[in-house]
This record gives sequence, C-alpha cells and structure tokens, in this order.
Amino acid sequence: MQHDFYLAWRYLRHNKARSLILIVCLGVIIALPLALHRVLDEAERRMSARAEATPLLVGARGSAADLVLNALYFTESPAFIGMGEVDRIAATGWADPLPVYARFRVRGLPLVGVTMDYFEFRDLALAEGDLPALLGDCVLGAEAGRRLRLAPGDTLPTTPENVFDLAGVHPLKLNVTGILAKTHTPDDQAVFVDLQTAWVIEGLGHGHETNPRAGRADSPFAPASGDGVAYTEITPDNLASFHFHGDPAGFPISAVIAVPRDARASALLRGRYLDDDARTQIVRPSEVTRSLLQNIFRIGALFDAILLPLGIAALLMTVLVFALSLRLRQREIETIHLIGCSPMTVIRLVAAEIVLIACSAGALGWVLLQAVGVGAAEFVRHFVIA
Amino acid sequence: MSIQHWWRRVALGLLFFVAAAGSDLAGAAGSPALKIIAVNYPLAYFAERLAGARARVVLPVPAGADPAFWRPDARTVGTMQKADLILLNGAGYEKWLSQVSLPRLKLANTSLGFQDTYLRIENAVVHSHGPGGLHSHEGLAFTTWLDFEQAGKQAQAVADAIVRKHPEWKSIVLENLETLRGELAELDAELKQTVAADPRRPFLASHPIYQYLARRYGLNLKSVHWEPEEMPPAAEWQGLQSMLKDHPARRMIWEAQPAPEIAAKLKDMEIESVVFAPCANRPEDGDFLEVMKRNVDALKAAFRQEKRANSVISKNPNP
Ligand SMILES: [Zn+2]
Repeated sequence: MQHDFYLAWRYLRHNKARSLILIVCLGVIIALPLALHRVLDEAERRMSARAEATPLLVGARGSAADLVLNALYFTESPAFIGMGEVDRIAATGWADPLPVYARFRVRGLPLVGVTMDYFEFRDLALAEGDLPALLGDCVLGAEAGRRLRLAPGDTLPTTPENVFDLAGVHPLKLNVTGILAKTHTPDDQAVFVDLQTAWVIEGLGHGHETNPRAGRADSPFAPASGDGVAYTEITPDNLASFHFHGDPAGFPISAVIAVPRDARASALLRGRYLDDDARTQIVRPSEVTRSLLQNIFRIGALFDAILLPLGIAALLMTVLVFALSLRLRQREIETIHLIGCSPMTVIRLVAAEIVLIACSAGALGWVLLQAVGVGAAEFVRHFVIA
Repeated sequence: MSIQHWWRRVALGLLFFVAAAGSDLAGAAGSPALKIIAVNYPLAYFAERLAGARARVVLPVPAGADPAFWRPDARTVGTMQKADLILLNGAGYEKWLSQVSLPRLKLANTSLGFQDTYLRIENAVVHSHGPGGLHSHEGLAFTTWLDFEQAGKQAQAVADAIVRKHPEWKSIVLENLETLRGELAELDAELKQTVAADPRRPFLASHPIYQYLARRYGLNLKSVHWEPEEMPPAAEWQGLQSMLKDHPARRMIWEAQPAPEIAAKLKDMEIESVVFAPCANRPEDGDFLEVMKRNVDALKAAFRQEKRANSVISKNPNP
C-alpha cells in the first residue's frame, strides 16, 4: 500500500505540470459554489442583522426598498418627510422615534443627520474623542475617519458635490469631535452630525454677525470673505447667534426609526399608517430586506444552475485526461507486467494517484474557501450592500 | 495551589462581594441610580422631592447665575448627554437648545402640557434679513413656576419622566408627587385668597418675570425693567412717574432685595419694596418651597399693611 502511494507520488511529481493543472481545476470546481454561497450567506446575515435591529421605519410614501436602503445604508433618498412626524410618533407613547436625515455627501461619504440617541441605539462606541456637542460638530465612522485621514480636532468642510446639491448645500466647516469604533456596518462609512447641524448645512438655520457697537443683530451671518471657497464656520463667538426660521415640524428628515415598547404598541403604530391617502408609510425593515434578499437568492440559484453543468463538464474532462494518460502510459504498464506485477497493482497505482490528486484538490479548495470567508465581510460590503 | 494562596482568593472574593453589595445598596434597593440634569432649581427641587435618594440630580448652572441666561459649554453638553433624563423648563427657557446636540429621547419639556397657554413677552426685538424681510424673534415668558398650578403640572411632568425611566418606582414617586402637589396647591390657594381681597390694587414689578404670577392670581401688575443692584437712569424714573399716573401703585415687587439707595428713592415716592424671589437657582438658605412661602408671606403682608393705610415698612427676611 505504502509503495503504491510512493510510486504514485513519484509519478505525479514527475509530471508536475499535468498534476498541478488537475489539482487547481478540481480545487476551483469544489471551492467556487461553496464560496459563492458563503458570500451570499454573509450578505444575508449582515443585511438581516441590520434590518432586525431596526424594528419599524417611517418615511415618505413610495418604494419601501428605497426607504429601507436610505435609512439603513444611507443611499440617496427619493423623498423626505417633516420633523413633525417624530413628534407625532413620540406623542403616541407607543414608540421611541429616532430621526435619520441622509441626504448629503461629504467627500463621497454619506453625511447623516441624527439625534444623539442614534449612537446609543446602534451601540456605536467612540474609539477616540467625544460625540458632537455643539452646532457644527461631527463624528466620523471608523472607515470614514481612516479614509479622510482625520482625527478629533480637525475640520471637514462640506461642499456641494453635484448639480443637485448646489442649491442645497451651504459650505460649512465641520469640527471633527470624535471617531467611532468599527462595527462592520454602514455606520462605519458615515459622517454623523446632529440634525440641527444638517439643517444649517441646508440653509434652514443661520447665525447673525453681531456688531459689538450696534449691540444688536441686524445682518445675516455672512461667510468669512477670502480667496477661493468661503465657508461658514461656527465658533464659540457666533454660536449663540445661530437660530432657525420657520416651523421645525416642517424641517426635512428622510426617515424615522421607531422602536415600539412592545408588540401591541407596534401593531397600534402600524395601524395609524394604514390610510392610503397618507403621505407617509411605515415598513418593517426585516420584511423589506427579506424581499430584497430574494433577489440575491435568485442570483445564487442562477449561479448554481450555471456551475452544475460546468462542474460536470470539468469532471468529464478530468476523466478524459486520465484515460488519455493511461493510454500514453501503455508501455510503462507493460513494463510493470513484465517485471511480474499483477494487473491489480496497476489499478492500485492509478487509484493512489487519483486519491492523491483528489486530496490535494480538496485541500486547495478548503484554503480558497477560508480565504473567501475572511474577505466575505469586505466583499459583501463593497458589492452587495454599498 | 497552596493553602495560603487559596485563602487569599477566598478573601478577595468576599471583599469583592461586599463591595458589590455596598454599591447595590447605594443605588436604593438594588435599582441603579437615575442621573437627572435639571436646567433650573425648581425642576431640580421637584426631581429631588419625587425621586429622593434614587436619583442623582444635577443643576449644571453655577451658583448665583441666572439659569435663564446661562448656556452650557461643550463639556457640559457632554455631561448632559450621559444623563438618563434632562429636565427642561420649556417656554423658550433654554435658548441654547437649538445650538447643542442632546439625545431627544432623554429630554423632558416639563411645560409642554400647557404650551397653548404660554404668554408672550411684549415688545419683541424686530430685525430684518434675507429674502423673508422683516421678522421678529418673539420671546415667551418663561417663569412658568410662579403660577403654582403650573408648577404642579411641571412636577407632574417630572414624575411622569422618572416613572417612564423606572416604572418600578411608580407608587413611591406618585406618592411623593401627591404630597408635593398638595403643598403647591396650598400656596396657590393662599395667594389666590390674598389677591382676591383687593384684586384691583395696582402693583409694580421691577423686572418683567411675573407674567404667570399676575395672570394666575389676578394681580394688577405693571413692569419696569430694573436690576436690584443697579441704580436706574433718570429716564427710567421719569417713565415710572408717568406710569404711576394711571397705575398708582404703592408696592414694587423685586426678585431680590434692591440696593438701599433704590429702595430709599422709591420710598420717597411712597413705594415700598417687596421681594418675591423667582428662585430660579439654588437659594443660599432654605429650599424652593420655603422661599415660595416667604414670597407668599411677603405679598400677604403687603396686602395687609396697605389696608392699615400708610403703616410701617415691610421688611422681608429673604434677601
Ligand atoms: Zn434670523
């Protein structure tokens, strides 16, 4: 037995190129479908976890998927609702409302307006620095901090990034107060500001340049003039002059995360949004995500459908390669006969070769699978979620 | 493991257990202490009365400062973010609220229940800017607690907020609320009765902070805008003279004892000074209810003395 494997091993080593190609082909065929399913599972796990952690979501009537993606993954929002919705939900006493305003982007990253409750709700801990305290403060997700190379104490100017933003964004120098610890969720990529700061960026609030001689505010706060882009900067000196005009209930947000007290409160709250004429809707992110995941599963099934015949074809090719090599080895087999070995020995030798190749391919497949497993989270974040 | 080693372990374990039990006791019967921030003293007092030792109540305003004109710095905001409950007075009291980042779910606006009966401050500053043109930043009168019925409602709101955080404290908090509201109702009835004796009698206020007091108790009150330690300029005195023509008041209500020269000058005009302290910050002696009792007594004395026509000056014990 040992001799069989020794001989088989010697033979495979002698035909290095052939053996290697066989091992790699088989390894990939084994690993590919498994790796694909692992990535899909990871995507499902992450998306489900985020959705499960967000009991109810209220937003503008329209696509439920858009609403969920905006509030959970900070994608662009097609429509907005008023801050009054938050007060309405709070007034019912059934749920704790957490407003989210994901509309603008800073240097390619989502700028998300939240209240300070959001950090506790999502279990976002600080890696360094503090949470925003004053108007104009921001805190960066772990990935955002790394990508922007910013630390607490630095400033981050908001700039209009595309044609649609031009009207909406007032350049404001944000003060970075802290960096959040990594959570492997879309929160890592976000730049968080207080809702009120988001509204200042939108131009709903402003400061007044106070003339110390006149002693009273009379001109709107103008951005400091200078060369290039002028940014509004909120400083301890002008902070007190900042205020908002208009009815705060009408100030925009993109969604409200509602955390109901119990199942009954949840049912009651959902009942309030049954009206077809309402301009708002309530969705359960877990349900919406499930239907989004259906698409991913369909892609998975499609891949399986392609990979199955592909695998069979590859296996047939391998058999063919073996059959052909046996034929090429006709003289070698005859030599084995002539030195007095039984036909059984030949079969055992070939079997040993197959076992060795199969084991190597399996090992390679396992290694590939591990590699995919390690990178699955990143992969999912880049290709499935983002 | 040696015996000695083992004993050390047991001793350490016991020590740890005792320490844990001790800290548990400190948190009142096993419940973790509730950290409450109140933006003025009346609210802090209500919270202290309602939760007792179960809560740690912090008034972040420095002693002697008027909480209505105080604003938190970034560090104080950071402390407030870590609290379990932030009690707000409402009615525009916290002008800094739109400039700081606080967890909304922890905010409790204690006057929200009667927001449709807020009073406006007259003569709001008007300014113009932007495409909107002329507009005014009107202000609301904010000394809501000087109407003791409103104070009771604010105490109720504090109780509700505490119970929402700790439902298991409900019975004890509501029991404390009952007592507190009873005491406030007593003051309320007393003041109502006092003013009812002569509701048309004119009074002056040194500072426009008694709007709710005047409304609740039917006090015929007109206000100047003076500070207790600052001698008003001549123009103010002239303004007072003309005000007195159709509002012949013989008493001026002050937030604190006015400077002797002001009091003397008023006395020359036959106007006595009466102190009715709003008690927005922690008093040097006594508590909220004691100060309010003194206030009510001072006002009662003012009504009594004037009945005796031009009798001796009232000396209020509360500076
Ligand atoms: Zn303005």
